[in-house]
Amino acid sequence: MTSKETFLKPLLRENPVTLHVLGICSALAITNSLTSSLIMSASLTSVLVMTNVTISLIRKHLPSSVRLIVQITIIASAVAIIDQFLTAYLPDAAKTLRVYIALIVTNCIVLGRAEACAMKHGVGTSFLDALGNGLGFSIILIIVSVIRELFGNGSLMGHRILELAHEGGWYEPNAMLLLPPSAFFIIGFIVWVIRSWKPEQNEEAEFKPAPLPDSEKR
Amino acid sequence: MNNDSPLKAFFVVLVTAMVCSSLVSATVVMLRPIQLNNQMLDRSRNVMKLTGLVEEGVTPGDEEMLDLFRDMDMRIVDIDQAEFNNELDPLSFDQRRAASNPDLGVDVPSDQDLSSLGRRSRFATVYIVLREGKLERLILPVRGAGMWSMIYGYIALESDLNTIAAVTFYEQNETPGIGDQIMRPEWLAQWQGRRIYDEVGDLRFAVSHAKVEPGTSTWLYEVDALTGATVTADAVTSMIRYWFGSHGYRPFLDFLREHGYGRP
Amino acid sequence: MSHFIDMFFRAVFLENLALAYFLGMCTFLAVSKKVKTTIGLGIAVIVVEAISVPVNNVLYNFVLRDGALAWAGLGYLDFSYLGLLTQIAVIAAMIQVLEMVLNRFFPVLYNTLGIFLPLLTVNCAILGASLFMVQRDLGFVDSVAYGLGAGVGWAMAIVLLAGLREKMKYSDIPAGLEGIGIAFFTTGLISLAFMGIAGLSF
Repeated sequence: MTSKETFLKPLLRENPVTLHVLGICSALAITNSLTSSLIMSASLTSVLVMTNVTISLIRKHLPSSVRLIVQITIIASAVAIIDQFLTAYLPDAAKTLRVYIALIVTNCIVLGRAEACAMKHGVGTSFLDALGNGLGFSIILIIVSVIRELFGNGSLMGHRILELAHEGGWYEPNAMLLLPPSAFFIIGFIVWVIRSWKPEQNEEAEFKPAPLPDSEKR
Repeated sequence: MNNDSPLKAFFVVLVTAMVCSSLVSATVVMLRPIQLNNQMLDRSRNVMKLTGLVEEGVTPGDEEMLDLFRDMDMRIVDIDQAEFNNELDPLSFDQRRAASNPDLGVDVPSDQDLSSLGRRSRFATVYIVLREGKLERLILPVRGAGMWSMIYGYIALESDLNTIAAVTFYEQNETPGIGDQIMRPEWLAQWQGRRIYDEVGDLRFAVSHAKVEPGTSTWLYEVDALTGATVTADAVTSMIRYWFGSHGYRPFLDFLREHGYGRP
Repeated sequence: MSHFIDMFFRAVFLENLALAYFLGMCTFLAVSKKVKTTIGLGIAVIVVEAISVPVNNVLYNFVLRDGALAWAGLGYLDFSYLGLLTQIAVIAAMIQVLEMVLNRFFPVLYNTLGIFLPLLTVNCAILGASLFMVQRDLGFVDSVAYGLGAGVGWAMAIVLLAGLREKMKYSDIPAGLEGIGIAFFTTGLISLAFMGIAGLSF
């Protein structure tokens, strides 16, 4: 697998969120704001890169009995460091996002990629893989939050784009987009679109309706 | 060393633990001054909004802000004793920390605890805006349990210590689009001019469950309802009722009214 | 006592970790479609949360937070930044111990839970409950109620969803939505339904 492929695959063809259903749960609650999503994406990508590179460096010396706990410790430390930087340099955002940044520790993408890639490949490949997966996650998160913030609130990153009706404008904001469940609906749609475009990602239905016998057909 | 030996496992874990904790601790120590400065700026900005010293819509620079902040009178109030405390340093006093401290904080008995505080600090940092030596505005910190977690705010009273000059809620985790309407400037602007106590001295202020019409008897003491956010609205009402009741700032306000404000 | 029940019900219905905050969904959505296995997972989560939240609460209030070590004369220390590391360590350790206890004393239960127990270490819902407990600064009794409630609420939500998914096996779903697509939509709808409960007060 060439480096370019390692990097590009997780963006669309093997997007961790839409194909593997990994790692999106904890981030959905904050997708009502594009700024939060951007910060969240940057944080996850940084943690992913930091931990994958580190684990890849020490992979030959990790006894299997303590493998999981060491990985988790490294991930938790990376998250703690990112959290400190956020509190220092982006304090307003940090207030809302603290719990969700902390949840990156249990984010399935981070541990998943550590096991699947960092434990088996060198630093270079792990770095690209981490970057690719981080960006794949970020793309989905950003799409969801753009839709939610723009159509739910008429703004993007706090800047007014659509004039709201109750402030004298024309746009009646879609209040449901401000509620958390809408994030799920939007992702459902995104998955649908991606899988219609690339049908090889479709899951097999467990039961297919049996064809009607000829005599029953009208 | 063989990867399977328990000694190696122990060694790896030990090294990981030490390296990780050192890195995290180093980051914390390095960034702490910046974080503390941010907290200070944050507090200044929140209070500054209510002082009337800064024009609507103008955002002073950080330096200017800190200067204005230091020029106001910042005092510590002993809530239960209803007097000023001159020993504690207002600049560094942390009310939240004090709440859980056994000496600086006190339990709130459940029958008094309108806002589910559990414990509260015995002292509050209050801000006094002066004009020609006289108290023009008094800014008090308030907090109370919202639907999801604590709501923190400041409320500014006019010199009669009854009329509300301004209010702000700077920290809350209410439902986006519903409960967090308490941050909307249009709603907060309504609070200006409303009164907390009536002529007889009863605590009348409340967030209404409907639209408040000017000219009605309740208009002076209530603000409009928040669409669909009854729990949060009631939480705000409870918060005001607690902090301006006899177990909150009321004894202190009575004291101030009687004795006037004198600088230390 | 009524405060305990109030906190418990809030954690189950109003602040449901799965339906209001979407925590712990990834493992669930990808793994189980059967009600039976989901019940096992749910029970495991209830047990782990009911223990880990109070334990983390004690650890936070007596060791980590600003001034917590006052009882040891070290009140000026603030270790709150180590909170994340210790919480996850506590959870991992507890799950390990639970596994050993179950294996020794309740082997049937241990076999039913199977792979789910170690998987719980990285379940967002378990860590999430501890994090929310710290953020909301709950007392010890409250944290017991919250831990129990959070676990029960989460278990209830995923069993509900597993039941729906089992029924939907026979539905004719568009090819692109098969599997996680329709699961996302269903979860969203149930979450929306639960938001209607949010206005209730007890």
